[in-house]
Amino acid sequence: MPRYSQLYDAILKGDLKTAVSTTQEALAKGADPENLVAESMVPAMDEVGRRFEANEYFVPELMIAARAMKGALEILRPLLTQKGAKPTGRIVIGTVKGDLHDIGKNLVASMLEGGGFEVIDLGINVSPQQFVEAVKRTNAEMVGLSALLTTTMPSMRTIVQAFKDAGLRDRVKIMIGGAPITQEYANEIGADAFGENARTAVTLARQLMGVC
Amino acid sequence: MNSRERFFAFLEGRQTDHLVLMPITMMFAAEHAGVRYGDYARDHRVLVKAQLNIAEKFGFDYVSCISDPAREAADCGAAIQYFDDQPPAIDEASALLMDKTALARLQVPDPLGGGRMHDRVQAAALFKERAGRDKVIEGWVEGPCAEGADLRGINNLMLDFFDDPAFVRDLFEFVIEMELRFARDQLDAGADLIGVGDAAASLVGPQLYEEFVWPFEKKLVEGLHGMGARVRLHICGNTWPLLEGMGRLGCEIVDLDYPSPMGEGRQKMGPGQALLGNLNPVAILRNGAAEQVTHSVAECHRQAGERFIVGAGCEVPRGTPPGNILALRDYARSHAPRLSP
Ligand code: B12
Repeated sequence: MPRYSQLYDAILKGDLKTAVSTTQEALAKGADPENLVAESMVPAMDEVGRRFEANEYFVPELMIAARAMKGALEILRPLLTQKGAKPTGRIVIGTVKGDLHDIGKNLVASMLEGGGFEVIDLGINVSPQQFVEAVKRTNAEMVGLSALLTTTMPSMRTIVQAFKDAGLRDRVKIMIGGAPITQEYANEIGADAFGENARTAVTLARQLMGVC
Repeated sequence: MNSRERFFAFLEGRQTDHLVLMPITMMFAAEHAGVRYGDYARDHRVLVKAQLNIAEKFGFDYVSCISDPAREAADCGAAIQYFDDQPPAIDEASALLMDKTALARLQVPDPLGGGRMHDRVQAAALFKERAGRDKVIEGWVEGPCAEGADLRGINNLMLDFFDDPAFVRDLFEFVIEMELRFARDQLDAGADLIGVGDAAASLVGPQLYEEFVWPFEKKLVEGLHGMGARVRLHICGNTWPLLEGMGRLGCEIVDLDYPSPMGEGRQKMGPGQALLGNLNPVAILRNGAAEQVTHSVAECHRQAGERFIVGAGCEVPRGTPPGNILALRDYARSHAPRLSP
């Protein structure tokens, strides 16, 4: 049972206002920000992901839950940084060049944030070079690539190659996803993991970081 | 029987010589006509020529005005990006209704006002002139959820369902008024059938669908029927949770995309509903072998039963081997619906 059940419930319901106010109240009562993340936020986003997979939640429900989670996280983030709390991992994410679909990518980004990761979101239509530069700049350990079009999928291969060319391939784990992507495709292009949905994205990211 | 006779006989429940064949082609049609997609989407003469070519080559029973979902939004004044060889795309970051209050000032564009909607109306007219005796002519409009998303930005619209239901209803109301005017002009120009594309509807669950989307889809379908149009509903993606509601709209044809099983569609929509689909466009049509196509379409047919039109779940992708489309054609030609007594 999550300790701060009001926050947990507010995220599940997608109630931004309550998520923010209960976070503030909990902090005022001396709650530990790391605990709030680990014991309310992460389990709430886990449950949101489960409901999505079970066809109980759909994209709009996922999006308001993610928004509520982010509202609470914004309050907690400066406190976490102050305390020197380390994120589970740092991940650069984006939709590949030529592709403008971002709903799935945004959800994956939110779930990862909810799962305690630091997410650097490069947005849509991102070139291989932009991915490489972002990793250099941020020292991220992971890269998440999203593509929804069969015509833009090949760009993922180029990105994997770009990391090799930059001599960074050993330093980053590359996780890919999007409706047309398969495990076979991930194997074929030499990506480290394929995630079918936003929930598996978090599980995989944890595995890749060795913190499952 | 020519294509028109076959199509109308099928809709009226009369015996046909073989199955009707109506896969959606856009990029594939442009590819086979050797034209760039940017031109296909922007010049009705290019589109019409490419459609007639593809219908002839592969024995399709229809030609279609569909090209991309951005026509209405473009005429409303949305920022559109055009590409040489890709479909035009709506720039969501600067969506027309980023500021919701702009809706009150938004005017329904004149479908004959020289914009992208007019270009589609001209496509219908040119089809009528070139193939009106033989092929079925399909006009196209966007559904409430898809067009609402195009105008407002899809990421915003998904949140609006919870934050501002009244705005969503006003937005959908505007969309229906616009689409009915657009359809009217396409019908007057020669369209026999209006396709309604409501892709974004597959992102919402049954609750929001029933509450917000269905009533406006219904209004659109009734309006179209009032004009004498036949209606084909096309919602891409996974519509499994919505099938029952989609069946209640009363469309002449409902398309199912590959994540929504034909058998489920049949069960939820009853024996009378004509179902079209639902081969996996990429895994089967583009990447599969011809025998796989034949095998898969036979399975669709088996699940759908006799009220079945041959087609893919969604657009036939560019790069699909011609032999796979010929396999679709041959299947359609070698099977006749058996009318139940
Ligand atoms: C919304 C949408 C659009 C919107 C996008 C708006 C936006 N801001 O995203 C607009 C209208 C702009 C659009 C445009 C186009 N689209 Co579109 N679009 C869709 C639609 C309806 C939904 C996609 C979606 O958001 N799904 C919901 C999310 C939650 O799912 P998801 O993205 O798959 O993400 C999940 C998983 O895949 C995974 N995941 C995703 N990314 C990642 C990344 C990582 C690292 C991991 C681990 C996991 C992961 O987790 C997510 C959450 O569970 C689909 C059809 C459908 N109903 O599925 C077509 C679809 C994707 N579009 C399609 C097409 C063809 C186009 C256009 C070319 C249309 C045209 N002909 O004009 C243009 C191309 C524009 C461009 N250059 O990108 C096709 C793609 C066919 C193909 N396989 O190539 C589809 C499948 C429709 C179809 N059946 O034809 N589209």
